[in-house]
Amino acid sequence: MSKAMSLISELAYAGQRPKDSILKAMNETGKKSVGCFPIYTPEELIYAAEMLPVGMWGGQTVGTLADRYLQGFCCSIMKANTEQALLGQYDFLSAVIVTAYCDTLKCMIENWKIASPQLNLIPMVYPQNRKIPAGKEYLRDEFLRVKKELERISGKKITDQEIQKSVDLYDEYRRTMQEFSDLVKDYPDMLKAKTRHLILKASYFMDKRIYTEKVRELILELSKLPRENAFGRKKIILSGLIAEPDGILDIMTENGMVVVADDLAHGARQFRTIAPDTGDGLNRMVERVAMQDGCAFLYDEKKTRAAMLIQMKEKYQADAVIVCQMKFCDPEEFDYPIIKKELEGAGIPSLYIEIEQQMDSLEQLRTRIQSFSEMLA
Amino acid sequence: MYLGVDIGSSSSKAVLINRAGMVCGEGIVNIGTGSKGPQISVEQALRQAGIQRCDVRKCVVTGYGRLMYEGADRQITEISCHAKGVKFLWPTASTIIDIGGQDAKVIRVSINGIVENFVMNEKCAAGTGRFLEVMARVLDCRIEDLSGLAARGNPGVVISNTCTVFAESEVISQLAAGMSIEDVALGAHKSIAQRIAGLCNRIGIADAVVMTGGVALNHNVVTAIEKEIHHPIIRLEDPQAMGALGAAIFAREMEAGNS
Amino acid sequence: MEHQKTSKQLLGELLDKHYADALHAKAEGKPVAWSTSIAPQELLETMGIHAVYPENHAAAIGARKHAQEFINHSEGKGYSVDICSYARVNLAYMDIQQCEAANIPLPDLIFCCNNICNTVIKWYENIAKELNVPMILFDPPFNHEYEISDQNVKYIKAQILHAITRLEEITGQKFDYDRFREVMKISSETSRWWKKASLLACAKPSPLNGFELFNYMAIIVCMRGTKEGLELFKLWHDELQEKKEKGVGPWKDGEEKYRVMWDGIACWPYLGDTYKVLKKYGINMVTSTYPDSWYIVYDENDLDGMARAYSSNYVNRNLAFGTDNIIGIVKDFQLDGIIYHSNRSCKLMDFRQFEVQRKVEASTGVSSVIFDGDQTDPRAFSLAQFETRIQALVEMMEAKKRMGGAFYE
Repeated sequence: MSKAMSLISELAYAGQRPKDSILKAMNETGKKSVGCFPIYTPEELIYAAEMLPVGMWGGQTVGTLADRYLQGFCCSIMKANTEQALLGQYDFLSAVIVTAYCDTLKCMIENWKIASPQLNLIPMVYPQNRKIPAGKEYLRDEFLRVKKELERISGKKITDQEIQKSVDLYDEYRRTMQEFSDLVKDYPDMLKAKTRHLILKASYFMDKRIYTEKVRELILELSKLPRENAFGRKKIILSGLIAEPDGILDIMTENGMVVVADDLAHGARQFRTIAPDTGDGLNRMVERVAMQDGCAFLYDEKKTRAAMLIQMKEKYQADAVIVCQMKFCDPEEFDYPIIKKELEGAGIPSLYIEIEQQMDSLEQLRTRIQSFSEMLA
Repeated sequence: MYLGVDIGSSSSKAVLINRAGMVCGEGIVNIGTGSKGPQISVEQALRQAGIQRCDVRKCVVTGYGRLMYEGADRQITEISCHAKGVKFLWPTASTIIDIGGQDAKVIRVSINGIVENFVMNEKCAAGTGRFLEVMARVLDCRIEDLSGLAARGNPGVVISNTCTVFAESEVISQLAAGMSIEDVALGAHKSIAQRIAGLCNRIGIADAVVMTGGVALNHNVVTAIEKEIHHPIIRLEDPQAMGALGAAIFAREMEAGNS
Repeated sequence: MEHQKTSKQLLGELLDKHYADALHAKAEGKPVAWSTSIAPQELLETMGIHAVYPENHAAAIGARKHAQEFINHSEGKGYSVDICSYARVNLAYMDIQQCEAANIPLPDLIFCCNNICNTVIKWYENIAKELNVPMILFDPPFNHEYEISDQNVKYIKAQILHAITRLEEITGQKFDYDRFREVMKISSETSRWWKKASLLACAKPSPLNGFELFNYMAIIVCMRGTKEGLELFKLWHDELQEKKEKGVGPWKDGEEKYRVMWDGIACWPYLGDTYKVLKKYGINMVTSTYPDSWYIVYDENDLDGMARAYSSNYVNRNLAFGTDNIIGIVKDFQLDGIIYHSNRSCKLMDFRQFEVQRKVEASTGVSSVIFDGDQTDPRAFSLAQFETRIQALVEMMEAKKRMGGAFYE
């Protein structure tokens, strides 16, 4: 196996087995871990506190315990998280940060305080008026409050210098991911849609420094290999919350599609904005949030997401956009009609698929993806 | 004699009891509200008891069609009636699971028979008898055959969708993917069982657990629910008639004046 | 002698005037804002900008049973059946601009406060985008702590000042702080009378039939900062006070047998149906979560107080506060039961309801029931199901009464 292939399978394997990967990372680094709910959390602070930030984006658990708190029309990611918490599967975490980006998340904060008191819940609110001075000041205050909580949990003071270093690392991680993501179009066989997804997903379960080094190495190894023939493939941009169940990605591959870029909350939205180099670490974090646009969870008066997708289409010479709509995710559901209208206006084909994270039968989606692919041919 | 009539969405039940509380007549017809079903079930019960309608001293009606039924002295919800009927036969019952055609409910009853709280399925029909009807239609079998089919099925088919309409298309694609009818039937039962377990988690569960309603005749569903809730379920001989029995007992209490 | 109007007549007139004035303002080329229901309207009132309230308008369309055609239009544009039905109605009205309930002019400005939910951010963003008009957002952070923190107050206050600057830019007019002071005073005063009137329902029997709260709510939303609004609530209060003193109950043709609270928003398309079912069993809905939601009270010229008040509504508070709030209501209003509306449109209210119900029941022993419905989507409600649940509630309340009632003091 080539060096590139072995790195790919190592990372994809880590992405496929969240809990094992986290326990392995904890074991190797000797660090505690802190759970991070969607959409964004101050991971830089967790890392600066010498703990591991780990992603909590649902899972394949379906059960009945969460029904104690949630009606059937709650999004499947939050139901899976709650089910797993009630099963005690998160008990190895030292704390969990839950933010209030949407109405469901606000309720998560409240239910989890009662349902899983052992998890050291740290609720947090990101300001929606994040571009005005008052919002920036508020976010800085929130970061300071969370920092204090993290210090309490880790038993260690976080210095300004450590935050700076952590933000540097995260910038490096984000640049690396952008570079990696751009490489996919040249290696559509090695980096099939699901493989790409699992590699990105692994970032949630590994130490960020180690993960970034591995991806760096992978980029280097790939650059030594000749580009693969991508002729006849349909270049796809994914948009939405998350592309799971990942079976849908296999269906895309089977139908000759390659994911050349994404606008997924779980994917590129995590790394497409780099912190500006102004002020202290906290300031850089605050400014980065202020800069980021085109996300359903961040107030955007100008609603630039569709325009951004159109630009991405140009940049990547993509053939189409597939919107992966997580059922019952209000913020994403509200963005869709505007995206649809603007993509139609720009003559860009798009497909809307409604998914739940733990769907077992994808046959209906297969038919839709296949006919969309036939339409693009 | 005291008559209880339970008019459901897909069946009608009538029970006659005497002053001592003994069941003297019973009628069950598989057509529900808006039909001749209620009348036929009452006639069956009267015939079995060997009495005339004018011999009935009091009548209580319950169920989905209770508000449309004329000729009852009182109408009471199926929640109170199921609790009443079950407590009469099984005094230690604390939790009652009732799955009818339109509704699935879990009822918590106090020691002295008072309904303390209850929860019902969300408005859609997933987890109800209606769901099984749809499944039977898609699997092209009779509804009473589902239990036997599922008993021969292997676990593994998951029908996770929250809505009956979606579940239907999910089942069709499972069959298209080569799953056997038996496996899919078992999957459908598990799906119902999980919905019921979810309701149980909301209200809390305490022994003894008794199941009523037509779906309780499907032994495979009952077993599936037992697995999900980790409690044994008391199987009644005549689970369908519990609402009507409870109504008949209410009718008797009315005359005793202690209602 | 001039015949004195009843508050009900006045309510109708004011509401007609509210809509007529907005259309008139638009026709004269004056700016009109679309605003959320618990937003700092004081700023708009001070600037003389006419505000209309899409939530109220959507509710009115729902109550007139016209929501379905609007909902179909929105769903045709790609809006999911799972999102708030007020939004689906309003986003369609924006295109159709014609309904039988009452017409509202299109906005020149979007005025959005997410203390009621984050959904309004998304909804109003779309209006601003589609109509290409400026949007002002107030972002009172969700209070996951029991009290409203100073950090939150500081942020909200700064947003109020920021909004004033933006309003000055948008209109090209100076903000009149003397007028502002006056409007602040009236607004708080109106809120006080709204609450004071609704509290008269604590009397047994209640002089208030609580469904009237759903009607009067229109004015506490739309005309809170006006003298006419204030006068209406004083009049309403006096009428109820008189009924209370005479020991008159909620209905002329029925006796109040059970007293319940309604948790959540009304089912507008079935307002009459739900009311009739309750009345049939002698259930008076004496209160709801509405009275406290518009109890927005602060001292005049106190911007910190104003910021705090606009963050204090119960949906923006944590579960412990929400639970205590309902426990207090159970005691103050001597409730026999609670009806929780599991409203498909409002995830923020729904996803705490199960736990709140358990906690309130454990603390007070009061009977309760959850029913499924929706604020404006007629498809998400079944009257027969509703009646069965209400009747079961009656049977539980009756059994508890026989056992000596709920165990609150």
